[in-house]
Amino acid sequence: MQALGELSETRYWMYLLLLPSLVMILLVIAYPTLYGMAISFREMRLTRPGLGGWVGFKHYAAMWSDAVFWIALKNTVVWVTAAVVLELALGLLAATALNRDLPGTKIFAVLILLPYFLPNVVAGHMWALLLDPRLGVINDLLVRVGVLHTYKAWFADPNTALAATVLVEAWHGFPFFALLLLAGLKSIPEDLYKAAAVDGAGVSAQLRLITLPMLKTVIAAAVILRVIGLVNSPDLLLILTGGGPGDATQVLSLYAFQTAYKEFNFGYASALSVVMFVILMVFAAAYIRLSRITKGEGDD
Amino acid sequence: MIESKRRRRVIGNIATYFALATLSMFCTGPMIWMFLTSLKYEADIVTQTMQYIPRRVTFDNYVAIWTQSGFPRLIANSLVVTFLTVTICVATGTLAAYAFSRFAFRGRTQLMLGYLVVRMFPAVMMIIPLYVVMRSVGLVDSRFGLALAYTSFLLPLFVWMLKGFFDSAPKELESAARIDGSTRLGAMVRIVMPLARNGLVASSVFIAIAAWNEFLFALMLTTGQGSRTWPVGLQLMVGEFQLPWGVLAAGGILSILPVIILFAIVQRTMVQGLTAGAIKG
Repeated sequence: MQALGELSETRYWMYLLLLPSLVMILLVIAYPTLYGMAISFREMRLTRPGLGGWVGFKHYAAMWSDAVFWIALKNTVVWVTAAVVLELALGLLAATALNRDLPGTKIFAVLILLPYFLPNVVAGHMWALLLDPRLGVINDLLVRVGVLHTYKAWFADPNTALAATVLVEAWHGFPFFALLLLAGLKSIPEDLYKAAAVDGAGVSAQLRLITLPMLKTVIAAAVILRVIGLVNSPDLLLILTGGGPGDATQVLSLYAFQTAYKEFNFGYASALSVVMFVILMVFAAAYIRLSRITKGEGDD
Repeated sequence: MIESKRRRRVIGNIATYFALATLSMFCTGPMIWMFLTSLKYEADIVTQTMQYIPRRVTFDNYVAIWTQSGFPRLIANSLVVTFLTVTICVATGTLAAYAFSRFAFRGRTQLMLGYLVVRMFPAVMMIIPLYVVMRSVGLVDSRFGLALAYTSFLLPLFVWMLKGFFDSAPKELESAARIDGSTRLGAMVRIVMPLARNGLVASSVFIAIAAWNEFLFALMLTTGQGSRTWPVGLQLMVGEFQLPWGVLAAGGILSILPVIILFAIVQRTMVQGLTAGAIKG
């Protein structure tokens, strides 16, 4: 302890503090990542151990003529866009309402944030039960109010499967937006609204001229974080539909996962995920530049 | 003028409560339905006319999931993996968060961004090589191996979140302790850590919930009973045995109970840390 105390007075101390976590991250992230990129240039199938060796860009070339890849790419774009738009809208509504600080809002805040902390597995099965074509309470309610004539198999119909999964994802993910937007709203000075009210600005003008501009940074940050999260994680779709019916809900991350896990074709799966990663990075870079969320960001 | 202002306020309040009530129903409705389902007899779930409130209540589903499906084993595995993950993150991440919060050094911003960027790597991209590497060192189907894998995406989060809490602990007290002859290490352990205790707890709970809930890594990196966690177990039950919905719902309720309790206890602190970390990031 004495020796450590003395060591903490040297100028190497902060590097020593960083070392353990850095070693961990290099070990469990940097090395596997590089290794994964290498695998994408190799033949690696667990079902055929004899196969091996470098194949160059073979997997990447195969992707070009792989119809499922293009469907998955299109579905990823549609799915992520729809989910983020819906989550942003619901999140904005929740944050605006919670920000009014009426009595009881604290309890509502807990209830509204809760879905974000539930696991995908439970969320998936819960909604599978709610939307079940035979036992689903949502079908029952919709028939009762006259929206539907008969019960509907939401996840089995190619026309509704993607929309149904977006609904589940929105339920699971919108609290994240609510959380960040609420923090953003709280940081807007009350005086701005008072001044605007004195100048005769109505509710919609206040929203347009104060709230939205002040929230721009938060919205931009929340959207990019969510897009990255949604593109990368196939969990919910894996549980709800497994990509089906047909390829109606097949997305890139799920396709890569299934290529690895069902077909044990690690080489092609790695190539798929590398392509996904590159697309995501290009998108993130362009998005950050466009939305200028780095503007004014100093060394806090 | 004043009359209409007051009326507008009342209408606004009513609209607010309406929105909050609707959203709360949307958020908790599915969970309540799952809970009600878990209390029903199978015959009352698979019925022609939907039973909204169960007419007969049973705890058989809970007994069934606990005794017939190896659920205790799955829960025990999840507990061990969660504990190991939190331990690794706290041990290494606390030091890093403190360094990022208190020291200015070359490459600090880049390194912090680096911690964040690794979060963006697709899970699938990590899992395949992790599986290959862990298979060669014998860590597939081991709870320690799984905890290591979880560290890859939870450690960066932990560091970012905790740094926010360290930032808000006043530096003056630390300086005062150092003037009184305490070393940097002493000041960190005796002054800063106690000040950031709530933050440390909240960040740890956040990591614990995420590890407890994790599905994809667990699915890929566990092959047998040895280390299989409950999300994977629950998912496999659906595929293999066509478990009745009531039992499945009971399993869901049992496994999210700790999450709900933990979240309810530390939600305020955790929300602070999450928003601070995410918005700065």
